[in-house]
Amino acid sequence: MILLFIENFRISLTAVFANKLRSFLTALGIVIGVLSVTLMGTLISGLDRTFESSMSWLGKDILYVSRYEWFSGMEWWEVRNRPRIRTDYVDKIKERSNYALTVSPVMQRGASLSFKDKKARTEIFGTNEDYMETITTNIAQGRFFTRNEDRSGSRVTVIGDGIAQAFFGDKDPIGQYIKIDDIKFRVIGVLEEQGKFLGLMSVDKQAILPLGAFKRIFSKRGWMRLSVKVPTEKMDESLDEMYAVMRHIRGLKPGQKNDFAINQTKLFENQYNMLKIAIAGTGYAITLLSLIVGGIGIMNIMFVSVKERTREIGVRKAIGATKGMIMSQFLMESVTICSIAGLVGLLLAYIFSIFINKFFPSTLPITLSIYAILMSMAVGIISGFIPSYRAANLDPIDSLRYE
Amino acid sequence: MALISLKNIFKIYNVGGEEVRALDGIDLDILENEYLAIMGPSGSGKSTLMNMIGCLDTPTSGIYEFEGEMVQVMDDSQLASIRNRKIGFVFQTFNLLPKATAQHNVEIPLVYANIKNKDRAKMATDALESVGLADRLHHKPNELSGGQRQRVAIARALVNKPSIILADEPTGNLDSKSGSEIMTILDDLHKNGNTIILVTHEDDVAQHAHRIIRLFDGKVIEDSKQAP
Repeated sequence: MILLFIENFRISLTAVFANKLRSFLTALGIVIGVLSVTLMGTLISGLDRTFESSMSWLGKDILYVSRYEWFSGMEWWEVRNRPRIRTDYVDKIKERSNYALTVSPVMQRGASLSFKDKKARTEIFGTNEDYMETITTNIAQGRFFTRNEDRSGSRVTVIGDGIAQAFFGDKDPIGQYIKIDDIKFRVIGVLEEQGKFLGLMSVDKQAILPLGAFKRIFSKRGWMRLSVKVPTEKMDESLDEMYAVMRHIRGLKPGQKNDFAINQTKLFENQYNMLKIAIAGTGYAITLLSLIVGGIGIMNIMFVSVKERTREIGVRKAIGATKGMIMSQFLMESVTICSIAGLVGLLLAYIFSIFINKFFPSTLPITLSIYAILMSMAVGIISGFIPSYRAANLDPIDSLRYE
Repeated sequence: MALISLKNIFKIYNVGGEEVRALDGIDLDILENEYLAIMGPSGSGKSTLMNMIGCLDTPTSGIYEFEGEMVQVMDDSQLASIRNRKIGFVFQTFNLLPKATAQHNVEIPLVYANIKNKDRAKMATDALESVGLADRLHHKPNELSGGQRQRVAIARALVNKPSIILADEPTGNLDSKSGSEIMTILDDLHKNGNTIILVTHEDDVAQHAHRIIRLFDGKVIEDSKQAP
């Protein structure tokens, strides 16, 4: 049996390579099928990885109290008159909430940073001393600012790794003065390297200042959100409580709509999962379609192959091949074409994935690759079945006479 | 006991609603180590008889016993096994696989007989040597002359050491010199104990045989022995 298997494989390879162009054209559908499914997998793996690292920056145990929902179907005019989030909410929330572990206000705006002749356009954040509790990043060098520095409006700053690299290179940034919109700040700390948020915005280029100084210098009434850290195992209760606390702070009567939003990373996850389903759906649809088209092509070419080799089938039967042996020979041929096509698709996907990896980190998933190969073999079996069956049942005498 | 025994064999085709009796009540016994020629004009049923003997075709009615066993009740794999191990076919048009070397062509019956790779090569080389093609092992059919191709085909027929060689017009596509070389090989095989069954319409080819069967309209009209 194994000998016949090896022999059939040899015959198949000969047949496939004897008609290189024909085999290639026939197998193109399978190549595209395997390519699309594996590339989709690569893309999703990359997105997963980016998303994971981005989410870790946001923190899963944080409620973000802000004026607007991150994802909502509401029209702009419905939400534009909502009151601002104010700094005094921090103490009110601390007072009323049982779940809030820390509350950190965050203001944000664009600014230009400079050190000597080096300049960078980036985002600056004004916050309080608890900010580090609400993000997952650590301080790599130096320290974060204190409550006193915040209250007194000290001009100190903690900068992202990207800024530190760009301005100071290998030198120690701690104690150096940088200018933020032409105002001098002393660097007291550097954050760990983070990578890009959703692959778009670099978190490493930020600078963090005490809220006191931020408000005094840049804006008193800017856009603000509150990061409220709550116990991970009590997310749902905390969310309910926070709605109640905020409604109380805002003095809303029962029946009035919320005029604030509480966001969670879960919302990102929901949104992200929808995106993933869309990508996977498209990928699978393309794959399915190209496999069906490819499978029909394989079946067609197998009919041709059987026809062309009718005489050979007759000879093989005359010298002792059973129906099963003839059938397995042709099945093997179609499985071989499909497997080679699958491998070619996989190879292309691998090359593409190296290329994609240059733009955002991703890997070709191994299990999916194995499935893709098995899948192309299955296509080979399915589409080779009828032609092989026909070959096996050819009448040996007619086949021997076939010209 | 007869090696091959045909009793009242009919093979009837239905061509366009008309009954055609390709074999019309054939009775024939072939003994071990006979050298038999089946002759007759085209359409006389000699090819059908040949295919019947070679287990490629089954009779419409009648009894065919091969080594005492009823052929018409055998299944596909039993028939294939007989063709593989007991019978060696030699065709007028050689019927070699064009993309395979001489050695590989000869190895194919061994593959179906499930013989190991290493033994296969040895057996195939021996068979090719016995027909004088030891120096043509790795040539493809299109690199060989007609006579050489037929010798490869004979080596293929021989390689499984079958008792019967069925040769259908083995010299039909060859010049007279190559033809007589082929006949010499068949004569030698007969001397070594093989049963040879020839289908031919050439008298000088038939002269090699020791027994001549003449067919006409699906019937045996003559069965004569002759001195070699």
